[in-house]
Amino acid sequence: MIMTLQECYAALEGDYEGVMGRLRTERLVQKFVLKFLDDGSYDLLTRSMESGAYEEAFRASHTIKGVGQNLSFNKLYESSHLLTEALRAHDIEGAAPLYEQVKADYAQTVAAIREYQASL
Amino acid sequence: MADKRRQKILIADDSEMNRSILADMLGDDYDIIEAENGKEAVKILQKQEAQIDLLLLDIVMPEMDGFGVLRAMNDFRWIENTPVIMISAESAPARVQQAYELGITDFISRPFDAVVVHHRVVNTLLLYAKQKKLMNMVTDQVLEKEKQSALMIDILSHIVEFRNGESGQHVLHIRTLTELMLKHLNQMSNRYNFSKTEISLISTAAAIHDVGKIAIPGEILNKPGRLTDEEFAIMKTHSEMGARMLEALPAHQNEPLVRRAYEICRWHHERYDGRGYPDGLVGDEIPITAQVVALADVYDALTSERVYKKAIPPEKAVEMILDGQCGQFNPLLMDCLREMAENIPAAMKNNEVRDWNDQNMLLNLAEDVLQREEMSASDRTLQLLEHERMKYQFFADMSQEVQFEYKVSPPSVTISEWGARHLGLDEIIYDPHQDEKVLATMSRESMEKLADLLSKSTPENPIVDFDSVIRVRGGERWMKIIARATWSKEEPPVYTGAIGKAIDIHETRVKMAALEEMAAHDTMTGLYNHKFAKMRIQDMMARKPDSNFALGIFDVDHFKQANDTYGHMFGDQVLIHMAKTLKRNMREGTVSARVGGDEFLLFFEYREHVDLAINRIFNSLIGTYENFPISVSMGVAKTQMLGTDYDTLFHAADQALYAAKRGGRGQFRFYDGDSCETLSLISPIDGDRQTEAEQDGRESDGKEFKDGSGTDDNQTERKGL
Repeated sequence: MIMTLQECYAALEGDYEGVMGRLRTERLVQKFVLKFLDDGSYDLLTRSMESGAYEEAFRASHTIKGVGQNLSFNKLYESSHLLTEALRAHDIEGAAPLYEQVKADYAQTVAAIREYQASL
Repeated sequence: MADKRRQKILIADDSEMNRSILADMLGDDYDIIEAENGKEAVKILQKQEAQIDLLLLDIVMPEMDGFGVLRAMNDFRWIENTPVIMISAESAPARVQQAYELGITDFISRPFDAVVVHHRVVNTLLLYAKQKKLMNMVTDQVLEKEKQSALMIDILSHIVEFRNGESGQHVLHIRTLTELMLKHLNQMSNRYNFSKTEISLISTAAAIHDVGKIAIPGEILNKPGRLTDEEFAIMKTHSEMGARMLEALPAHQNEPLVRRAYEICRWHHERYDGRGYPDGLVGDEIPITAQVVALADVYDALTSERVYKKAIPPEKAVEMILDGQCGQFNPLLMDCLREMAENIPAAMKNNEVRDWNDQNMLLNLAEDVLQREEMSASDRTLQLLEHERMKYQFFADMSQEVQFEYKVSPPSVTISEWGARHLGLDEIIYDPHQDEKVLATMSRESMEKLADLLSKSTPENPIVDFDSVIRVRGGERWMKIIARATWSKEEPPVYTGAIGKAIDIHETRVKMAALEEMAAHDTMTGLYNHKFAKMRIQDMMARKPDSNFALGIFDVDHFKQANDTYGHMFGDQVLIHMAKTLKRNMREGTVSARVGGDEFLLFFEYREHVDLAINRIFNSLIGTYENFPISVSMGVAKTQMLGTDYDTLFHAADQALYAAKRGGRGQFRFYDGDSCETLSLISPIDGDRQTEAEQDGRESDGKEFKDGSGTDDNQTERKGL
């Protein structure tokens, strides 16, 4: 089944119009969307959350938020934004459910991109 | 476009994604360098700050965040020349404001728009380029203007001098003297506070003080003898004439230079008591500029040779002026002259050598430009700095020294190019205390010691001298580090770092050690000499005051005979043989020495059975050398009985040796405290030990030479075989 970039954005609950407005060309957006799969910030987030290295988890979450924002992955951006703020405030308890949300959103995002990639 | 360098942008962001999005947006038009954290960004800036045209900076990064980078950029003053655009999702107003306060040019918040980023980058770069260009234009204009006016004044004043038939030095002298005096006046009193610019202006104007002489007829001007009253009256008009000439200038009346020149031309022959000309002004009615030039004029006239007079020595000239022989001057100026008098000749000489033309002016200007902060980035300044840097680098390379500069905050070391190459280190090292390569070069201990010495220095006494082992290309070398701590100007001063150099002193140090070693040894036998052995022994006893030690002294029986019969050469050979035998047979840790003549010393630590140990050594020393039978007499003293005073021990051992000799030689004795008569006598040779001596037919108790006579026929015969 063929999936367009626009459909991919719909699947990961992002803002296709928004990202096209800022980055201008589909070529560029596609390039970075695919590149997102190689970004190590999520691994870092998982590792640091699990080992309790919250400073590092904050930075990783912050990076995911930044990338999500740049690529208009709105859902992932929202959850990572909340996680970032909780970690910034050293609210470890509050961060736990938010982390779960980021995990779910990340999985959803990656699944959508993989599907898009497979159809190229 | 081919000749134009592409501008370089440094992107500092910890997210590879973000970096590549930015790089992608800008990569077509600019060269991109990437840094994945703040520390790396600072490292890159340290290496190539001058080539980086713009920094795109993220805030949240590991190792060092964006604010850390900005602080470093402020510390190193890169922020003045390198625009920074901050890109971050952090849009809390306080953070943004803080970033602006640290000198960023622009702030872009995420998510960024490709077009916006592109435009802001272009605008910022353009703005900076324009500013740089403007600064250069201003500098060029200032330079051009100063160059021209100085040139005109030079021409003008030389015309006057040329007509005067003078050497051209007078103008230079007046200019220098005026400058010196104004500077000194500033030091003496707060009354005038001439600025640098004013001093330069007044001394330049001083050069044309005699411009009016151009209107004086040549016969009067250059008359070798004394002027008649009438001629003198004409001569005196030159000051007014000069002033009128300036007044008649069609333009520039309000130029500070022209106004100062007017004062100087008109009134440089006025005197403080009102007896000068042309206006007979009194005291401070005379402008200070004219007062200073008047004094300079008189001083130079006295000390220079003129058509009508010889030169007067400077001290004499000052004396004459202070004495009032050349008219009355302002008391403050007299004090000024008195205080400066001693230094004037040297200062004048210095200035004569200098060329007052372009070069000097350029330097003055450069100095001015450097002082004006807003111009610190002009290309001309950069050129001058580049020139300085080149000079520094050249000398650093030539000197084969490792030169370095250390900064406490942010901690970094800059090493001269040659030095870095020599040590195999980077030229710029960020955080040297943690740098593995640095730690492999200099031990942490040495580094801490050096840092400690530097931080304990004072601004008055900032120089530190420290010898350290440095690893250079796999080998260890001694280096002398001489460093000067730098202190901030604030009160109280803060230690900010150091500059210094490390000189390889390995050869010298090794040579010194060899010399020391040589001085410690007896040249013939290679054993320690007595002085050094004594030091070593005292040292050993001091280290282990509770241990048991034995000190033995022995000499070669009938050595004099060997010397007398076979010559000193042979005697020396015997001594060398003894030393070798002793060295071969003593345990590790034993100190052995030649005390003098044929007398040797040994000293060692023992646990028990000192008699067995002594017996072993004693027996090992017995034998023959070139058919000369050798035996020794030995006296031994023990710390167990006598304590650890060296002289006491030595004396006791010597007494025991004496007793051994009296007891018939070829034996050893222990000092036992009462008297030498009751010393115990131990059979020197064990029955089970066969020596060459025995095979030679000697008696096994070693008493062959018991008569002790120095001229034993037996010996002579033996050698004769």
